Amino acid sequence: MLRGTGTIFWREVGQYFASPVAYLIAFALLLLTGLLFNSDLTFSLTQKPADPALIPSFLALAMVFFAPLLTMRMLAEESREGTLELLLTAPVSDTAVVIGKFLSAWFYYTILLLLTFTYQFILLAITQPDLGLAVSAYIGIWLYGGATLAVGLLFSSLTENQIVAAFLSMSVLLLLWLGDIAGEIVANLDLARVLRQLSLGGHFSTSFAVGLLRAEDVAYYAGIMVVMLFITTRIVESHRWR
Amino acid sequence: MIEVHKLTKRYGYHLAVDQISFEAHPGEVVGLLGPNGAGKTTTMRMLTGFMPPSEGSARIAGFDVLADSLEVRRRVGYLPERVPVYPDMTVKGYVTFWAKLRGVEKPRARVDAVLERVHLTDRRNTLVRNLSKGLRQRLGLAQALVHDPPIVILDEPTIGIDPQQVIEVREAVRDLGKHHTVLFSTHILSEAEQVCDRVVIINRGKIIAQGTPDTLRTQLQHGLSLYVEIAGAGKEAGAKLLKALTGVESVTAQGNGFVVRARTDVRGEVADRVTRAGYRLLELRPVAMTLEDIFLDLVGRGK
Ligand SMILES: Nc1ncnc2c1ncn2[C@@H]1O[C@H](COP(=O)(O)OP(=O)(O)OP(=O)(O)O)[C@@H](O)[C@H]1O
Ligand SMILES: [Mg+2]
Repeated sequence: MLRGTGTIFWREVGQYFASPVAYLIAFALLLLTGLLFNSDLTFSLTQKPADPALIPSFLALAMVFFAPLLTMRMLAEESREGTLELLLTAPVSDTAVVIGKFLSAWFYYTILLLLTFTYQFILLAITQPDLGLAVSAYIGIWLYGGATLAVGLLFSSLTENQIVAAFLSMSVLLLLWLGDIAGEIVANLDLARVLRQLSLGGHFSTSFAVGLLRAEDVAYYAGIMVVMLFITTRIVESHRWR
Repeated sequence: MIEVHKLTKRYGYHLAVDQISFEAHPGEVVGLLGPNGAGKTTTMRMLTGFMPPSEGSARIAGFDVLADSLEVRRRVGYLPERVPVYPDMTVKGYVTFWAKLRGVEKPRARVDAVLERVHLTDRRNTLVRNLSKGLRQRLGLAQALVHDPPIVILDEPTIGIDPQQVIEVREAVRDLGKHHTVLFSTHILSEAEQVCDRVVIINRGKIIAQGTPDTLRTQLQHGLSLYVEIAGAGKEAGAKLLKALTGVESVTAQGNGFVVRARTDVRGEVADRVTRAGYRLLELRPVAMTLEDIFLDLVGRGK
């Protein structure tokens, strides 16, 4: 591990647990998923069996809005408060700063994800859900979340203004998400297929979310994270030239 | 030890720092003195490894700021102009964070020691957002010293705090100079005189003078300014009278009197001359030279 990553990581984790925004996000997320789960359960009595991939599938859309909120502060605030100058003159690499921050966001997201396990336990207690599907959907949404957080972090590094960072990353994530339904809005089939391959949702909704674990989808999310973090590092580095 | 050799920084076409060279040795406090926009902050940012120089080189404790940036950063404690804080952390958490990031072996003991040193021990659990400006300045100092760096760089540490705290900070800087190499910047001449072993005067990115405060003062003594007020003589008569004295360079009217600039100490002559002409001397005092005067003086003489 790069020197300093751990220190940055734990500071950011501490910030999450001290920040009202993070609690609000957790609250909103649990409330929404709770409502959704509740109605699905009601349905399952009469119409169809409960879907163990329900919550992860919902999170795919929710993260378009929550990932920017979880990451908007991270670098924007550092450059606004001037602490970035101290970070960049500390004996740690720029990469360590970016990775430490990213991992803490992903860690916080993982905790939120673990909290939604409650619903799976309830399902487990009252029905026989498809466990394989649940596991694959959760792995998928975990990677998916990491990718959205990496995009959010990138935009946080671009500006000193948290709101601007959040707005820009929401717009981009929404576009990436919409790529999944490209087939419905683009007439040209080949183009739709390409768009879908590039989209965040396209690698989730028809693979992880239906119980399919494919290396290419894992590689896609890992690739997004690596590329986003690389660009973010370059942007942080560019503060040295301004 | 700080060795700066022909260090240059360009922002686009704007030359912010122009081929400056100076040194600072262990156990020495060197002051970077200059008006706004002189290039003090830019110089410090190059020395701390924040930004690379455009040209020239600088070595900190023997390491090149560009080639061995990480080694340099390990050895420098830096307090930027605007104290950078994390408002949501406690005083102790904040200092501990920097201690760990800079690889301090036993962070807890070091943090306690440094908080004691800057008199923040009783505020250790206060949130940084609730600290007053003066306390924040001390927190900034704590952060800069927590890893016990051989080189300490402080960018205008006395700006915006009350006079009592200014005195404390100055004392702290003097004290640091005993064991560290200290570079600190200011635009207040008297502060530089008080605190520094050596002063580097910088203006528009260029060094225009450097030396101990004593040498600089004797250099500057050439440009003595006096305020003279005479009763009985009119504006013109008075000015004429003063101008006639040998050594006087210029006489300008100011308020009810004149400001006399002279190459030598002409106080005696002025008094003599005025009384002999039958006027009464109401006031005769040296005018404290402002930084502006000194720059005008130094820059003017350089031509
Ligand atoms: N990031 C930047 N981009 C462009 N120009 C800059 C930048 N930073 C500083 N400058 C310019 O470089 C010159 C030197 O600035 P610097 O901040 O080093 O001065 P200073 O001596 O620290 O002044 P002050 O007393 O106001 O802090 C100024 O003319 C300033 O406008
Ligand atoms: Mg400055």
